[in-house]
Amino acid sequence: MSSLYDRLGGEGAVNAAVELFYRKVLADGRIAHFFDGVDMEEQIAKQKAFLTMAFGGPNNYTGADMRKAHKRLVEKGLNDSHVDAVIENLNYTLRDLGVPEKEVKEVADLANSVRDDVLNR
Amino acid sequence: MHRAIDGAPPAESQSGLTDAQKAMGYFLPCICRPSTPLTILRPDDLGANFEAVVQAIDSLSDDIVRLRVEAEGFAYRPGQFIELSASEALKRHYSLASHPDEDPFLEMHIRLHQDGRMSRHLAENLQPGDKMHVAGPSGSCFYEGVNLDQPMLLIGAGTGLSPIYGVLRDALHKGHRGPIRLYHGARSHKGLYLSDELQALSHARDNFNYRPCAFDPSAPHGGDVAATALEAEQSVSEAAIFLCGGENLVKRLKRELFMRGASLKNIRSDAFTPAPAR
Repeated sequence: MSSLYDRLGGEGAVNAAVELFYRKVLADGRIAHFFDGVDMEEQIAKQKAFLTMAFGGPNNYTGADMRKAHKRLVEKGLNDSHVDAVIENLNYTLRDLGVPEKEVKEVADLANSVRDDVLNR
Repeated sequence: MHRAIDGAPPAESQSGLTDAQKAMGYFLPCICRPSTPLTILRPDDLGANFEAVVQAIDSLSDDIVRLRVEAEGFAYRPGQFIELSASEALKRHYSLASHPDEDPFLEMHIRLHQDGRMSRHLAENLQPGDKMHVAGPSGSCFYEGVNLDQPMLLIGAGTGLSPIYGVLRDALHKGHRGPIRLYHGARSHKGLYLSDELQALSHARDNFNYRPCAFDPSAPHGGDVAATALEAEQSVSEAAIFLCGGENLVKRLKRELFMRGASLKNIRSDAFTPAPAR
C-alpha cells in the first residue's frame, strides 16, 4: 500500500490545501488573533511545512522547533481548545478537497501527534 | 536562497519559489545541480553600484518631487527599488517608475518630509549635474511573471504610485491584454499626482481603468483607497495584484484580498517604511 502522502497526491496536494487551510484559520475567531501581525509569506511557508508533516510527507520535523515557535503563544494563552480548532479546520479543508474520511482521520492523527510540542508540555 | 545573474538554475532548484523569485534567478543551492554554468551573487550583494548624474528634480505636488538620474545601461525591472545615497551616512530606498527600454534615466517619486535629512538634501542642495550613488536593483514588485491575459489589480498610496506606475508602464510595454485596474490613494486631491496622465491613458485604452481616491469626508468610504478598492474588487482569485504604500495599508489589503481568494503567490507588494529618526 502506498504512503499516506502519495495517496493524498504529494506536494501538489499540499499546495492545493495550504492557502485554503490558512484562509479557514484566519477566518476562525477562536484562533485568528494568534496570527495578528505575522508576515503572511513566512506563515504560509510554515503552514506548508506543517501540512507536509501532517500528510506524512518528507519533512525535517523537530519538536524543538515546534516548541520554540509556539512558546510565546502558550504564554499568551494557547491551549488544547486552540489545537482542536486548528485540527478541525484541517479536517474541513481536506473534506472540501474531496479527501476520503479514512485519510482525513490519518492526517488528523498525525497533526494531533505534535500537540504536546505545540503546547510546550 | 542564492541568486543567479547569468545562466539558468535547473527547475527543481526553484520549486516552491514565487514566479517573481524565479524571474529574478533565485534558487535553492541545497537542491541545485547546475546543468549549465551559473554566475551567482553573494546574498549580501546588491548588484550594480555606480555614480549617477542628476538630470532633473521637478515638483509633482506640494510635497512630492520627481527625481531623474542618468543611468545608462543599468539593468532593472520597473517597480523594483534602488538604494540611493547622497553620502555614506545618507542612504534611502526608492522605487523606480521609469522603464529601461523607454527612458534614458531612472525616475523616482519622493515625498519630502519636513524633517527628513534626505528630503532636505533633495529640496535644498541637490542640483542637476550633481552626482548620487546608486546600488541595486532589489525587490519583486515587477510585471515579469504576470500572464498577458490575467486581470491586474494595482493599488498604490502616496508615492506608492511610483512602483505601481513602473509596473503599469511595463505591462503596457509588453502588450498586456487583460483588464488593468489602478487605484491611487492620497491624503488630499493635491497628492493625486500624475492624475492627468492616468486619466488620459484610461480614456485611450479599453483595458485600463484609473480610480483616484483622496481623503474627503463626502466621498464614498471617506476617500479611503483600501475600502474603495475592496468594495469594487469582489473577485480577485485570478488577479495579479500589486500593493505599494505604507506598511499598515499593505498588510490590511494583503490579508483582505487573500481572504477573498487571491493567492499569496499572485500578490506582490512593497511596504514603505519611514527612515529611522536620528
